[in-house]
Amino acid sequence: METVEFMGKTFSVDEDGFIDEFDNYCPEWEQWVKTVEGIEEINDEHRKLVVVLRDYYEKNGIAPMVRILSKSTGFKLKHIYELFPSGPGKGACKMAGLPKPTGCV
Amino acid sequence: MKPTIAIREPVVDDLMDQTEKSLTEDQIEKVINEVIDQETGVRLQTYVNTCIHCGLCSEACHWFLSNDRDVSFAPVTKVKDTIWVMLEKKGKVDAAFIKRCSQIAHTECNVCRRCGMYCPFGIDIAYMMLVVRRICAKLEMVPLYLQDTVNSHAATMNQMWVKPDEWIDTLQWQEEEGQGYVPSARLPLEKEGAEIMYSVIGPEPKFLAQLLGNITVIMNVAGCDWTMPATAGWDNSNMAMYSGDFEVMARVERLHHETAQRLKVKKIVMGECGHAFRGGEYDGPTWLGWMSPPIPIVHAVAFYYDLLVSGRIKIAKKVEGPVTAQYPCNIIRNAGLGSKLRYIMNAVCEDFVDLVPNDRHAFCCNAGGDTINCGPPWKKIRVQSARLQSENFKRTGAHTIVTPCHNCHSGVEDIVDGYKLGMHVKFFSELLIEAMEIPEDLQA
Repeated sequence: METVEFMGKTFSVDEDGFIDEFDNYCPEWEQWVKTVEGIEEINDEHRKLVVVLRDYYEKNGIAPMVRILSKSTGFKLKHIYELFPSGPGKGACKMAGLPKPTGCV
Repeated sequence: MKPTIAIREPVVDDLMDQTEKSLTEDQIEKVINEVIDQETGVRLQTYVNTCIHCGLCSEACHWFLSNDRDVSFAPVTKVKDTIWVMLEKKGKVDAAFIKRCSQIAHTECNVCRRCGMYCPFGIDIAYMMLVVRRICAKLEMVPLYLQDTVNSHAATMNQMWVKPDEWIDTLQWQEEEGQGYVPSARLPLEKEGAEIMYSVIGPEPKFLAQLLGNITVIMNVAGCDWTMPATAGWDNSNMAMYSGDFEVMARVERLHHETAQRLKVKKIVMGECGHAFRGGEYDGPTWLGWMSPPIPIVHAVAFYYDLLVSGRIKIAKKVEGPVTAQYPCNIIRNAGLGSKLRYIMNAVCEDFVDLVPNDRHAFCCNAGGDTINCGPPWKKIRVQSARLQSENFKRTGAHTIVTPCHNCHSGVEDIVDGYKLGMHVKFFSELLIEAMEIPEDLQA
């Protein structure tokens, strides 16, 4: 695994840039993902998605369906893609400190 | 026979590392000989005995060409370092050897079949790699991420652990999204006797639900009599086909076809996925001992071709600027849909710029054959070995690459990102939705 040093923190990441451990997520990690995902500024809507993703993963051990993300946040699918241009399975899961989902993604 | 010197960075794959520790040489010998004696027959023997080790297959392989002609990536080397050794030693090999076999067959070969086209004897080298995968899978030597999708298939009959209520909820949600374009649009569930059963792969409901909204609009504008199943059997993908777990592969393919039979449809139309077509059209039926698929299967490219040629979908405004398209191996090289892909691209784009080489000779996206499903541990070498296709994309000068296949889509995104091509990657249906005419009486 490669390491990333950012804002005084060191993170281990896989080859897709996902963090090695769910518990190593922190505000500095969010800021790092912001830079690699081409997101201008993290706003409350990004944070709302991150909270839902982390909560769902803690309870279920898997990333939620985008339908659940949409229902839980009230965001339209198109808006989720506006917030995370690489999509919920890549950008949003990465920022939330989840592992990369398995499957054709 | 000396193994080829292969210089690779060490990779940690938890499942493969764990399996290496637990496998015994007796287990390995038994499985190798079982597979070779009971499943391969004269086909494998003919290929092995016919090969004259000329190496012409190397010139066809993007792994070899993208890695500065490193012989350890050549198709002939992949065969020499795996199945030949197993045959020569009559299965008496160790766990470290089996691990290297899985690395070669699962992570460094897309079973795209380009090499077989350039072999002077037409040897299907990809078939031999699938035999190696089969042996590895029976020994549980499979990359962790890939095995997780196979486990999902076995437990849920879809690749992404989608639960029945989530599936139905997502379809109803996307029916409503489609009604934003066409208020009368329906996504009919469980309509017995419909002409078409539409099936998709797991990532569509999981993360790419907009594709289900797109097809709702397209089907309704074209006036198709269609349905989708509310039960398992909706996922046409099949990771087990590529891991080598043919028992699970058969269960998935059987259920897919039986679901279509239960709904009494005339044909299955499947979304934009290459390997799913391969599984439903030939690998699945072959393993199941069927002469042909019980319900005809139509890939999205052929379906969109029919809609455009017949005028059921008309184009209002073509997509501007140069656009190119990846040719998915399983529907082009292996199923001959190249001219239909070019037709629909020209129908929808003002300036379709073709790849060189194209059609059956086009190179693989390097994600196919489930190499992308082997997950992050194996990504670096996969993207490094797609250098050739990155150069081919760059030469087109396109602003968008269309990928009528999910594996291609994710793989080409990795190429665009890894080589900083600055291009968009889209499914064909995304372009069609932009370009198609929605008749006035159907408009919102």
